[in-house]
Amino acid sequence: MVEIFKKSTPGSAILVIAFLLLLVFLLIPQSASAAAPQQQVDFPKGVSAVNPGSDLWREVRQRDLPMQGISQVRGVESGVLINVQGDRWARFRINNPVKYAPMALLAVILILVLFYALRGKVGIEGGLSGRMVKRFTDYERVVHWVLAIVFLFLALTGLVLLLGRTLLIPLFGHHLFSLLASASKEGHNLFGPIFLVSLVMMVISFARRNIYEKGDLTWLLKGGGFIGKGHVSGGFFNMGEKSWYWLVILAGFAISISGLILVSPNFGQGRVIMEISHIVHVIGAILLIAISIGHMYMGSIGTEGSSEAMKSGYVDINWVEAHHDRWAKQIKENSEIVSAEEFARLQGRAPDSADTAAEQSQ
Amino acid sequence: MIEYLIDGPLWYFSLAVFCIGVLLQLARILFGAGKTDLSVARGSASGGAWRNVFSRFIPHHEIAPKIRLQVVAGYMFHLGLFAVLFFAAPHVIFLEEHLLGFGWTSMPHWAFIVASQFAFFGLLILWLRRMLNSVSRLISTLDDHVAAILTFVVMLTGCLALLKGFTELRLLHRFTVELFLIYFPFSCLMHTFTFIPSRAFTGAWFGRRGIDA
Repeated sequence: MVEIFKKSTPGSAILVIAFLLLLVFLLIPQSASAAAPQQQVDFPKGVSAVNPGSDLWREVRQRDLPMQGISQVRGVESGVLINVQGDRWARFRINNPVKYAPMALLAVILILVLFYALRGKVGIEGGLSGRMVKRFTDYERVVHWVLAIVFLFLALTGLVLLLGRTLLIPLFGHHLFSLLASASKEGHNLFGPIFLVSLVMMVISFARRNIYEKGDLTWLLKGGGFIGKGHVSGGFFNMGEKSWYWLVILAGFAISISGLILVSPNFGQGRVIMEISHIVHVIGAILLIAISIGHMYMGSIGTEGSSEAMKSGYVDINWVEAHHDRWAKQIKENSEIVSAEEFARLQGRAPDSADTAAEQSQ
Repeated sequence: MIEYLIDGPLWYFSLAVFCIGVLLQLARILFGAGKTDLSVARGSASGGAWRNVFSRFIPHHEIAPKIRLQVVAGYMFHLGLFAVLFFAAPHVIFLEEHLLGFGWTSMPHWAFIVASQFAFFGLLILWLRRMLNSVSRLISTLDDHVAAILTFVVMLTGCLALLKGFTELRLLHRFTVELFLIYFPFSCLMHTFTFIPSRAFTGAWFGRRGIDA
């Protein structure tokens, strides 16, 4: 090093000394700060650490001005920062339909069980005769069963979506429920429009015969035969059946239209319309499911001879006289009654000995 | 283990059963020993065959009003199923990646949904009509019902797995497809391949005898 200085020119020696001084100058503060003890920073006490943005959002949410602002983004409700209605809708959904729907359905089932236990099957005076009358065509029964099957599928998948979180997660766990919910959602959305088409077919096939007429009110006043004694007069459809039919049509269309609004969110409907549609959809569906349980009961184990109408399309003449006396009168006038043997032949089976015996005893 | 079985051995087994079974059945029908027609031809057999193949797409005017429901539902189901089977995006991708090595333009999602709705609605109507009409019920065999239900289940599991979020749903669909493929050659589902030769044979038979049917 000394040799270098000896051999170097004065200019270069100055440069080296300047470089060393610069190095010392740069390093001294670093080493000084490293050697110094760590100082505690005393922040002034009483300063709030709350997110300052919360005040802004509170202002957005609770302000008295209109909730719709201005945005460069073009779209439905793109100017709305917070949809207050959405919270109300979510709370309503959790506190009402999700809470009360299982209760309503269980109550209906319980009432029917009690009714069956107390009253039993509603029989026909004199029993079944075996002589049959054509009530529904093949087409009408196909329409009925398409609607019924699709409705049951939609009811099942819909209930999974509505009540699954509260009822199924504790039973199946999260993974199995999410799998079931995913499948239910896809199936529900797919079969919904089929229900609507079936409903339109139902209107075309049955509406004319379900128009209310003179005498229907009597049926209502006598509670369909459950109040008081004596026979309740009815036409091709009695008032109970007509009311059930119109409920299916009206609630069915309400469910279908609200369902289409929900399943197609890209047609310009806002969130409020979606929320209202959801409520209409859920309430309409629960109502229809509850009453359809009653319909299924009355059409099967509840009333003697009823199920045959939608199975073979024929009903026993005694059943017609018991529940639809005005229609029975027309049938007799037109001689539309089929014997037990003929009915068995039409159904492609050997005549039932019990049916034949019953017919002979008439 | 199940995933391996369904995606691997069972898939190849069902595919082999389907291909070999269909080929054997077609060979049995086409090359089966039939009686030589020694009668003098009164008309063109090939003309009758072609005429019958196409004329049967439309029901005869005398019976058309009575079978309107079956015709409409039949077309809804078959066209819907054809569209879903060959033009649904998941199927096109599957065929390209696992079987053919090439693909084609698939339907948009909305068209796929509409096509599957047509197929479901049509099949439901056809099967219910088969069950509810006394004559149809009597002439139906167990095979008819199994074929209809199996087809419905295959379509349903496919639609339930549309979200593609769960392996279990995809496996369920694939498993039902495999059952379908195994059942296919030994059932009435073979009409997929036999309806054209069958019509042609009947048409040729009529044509040769000069019957305008």
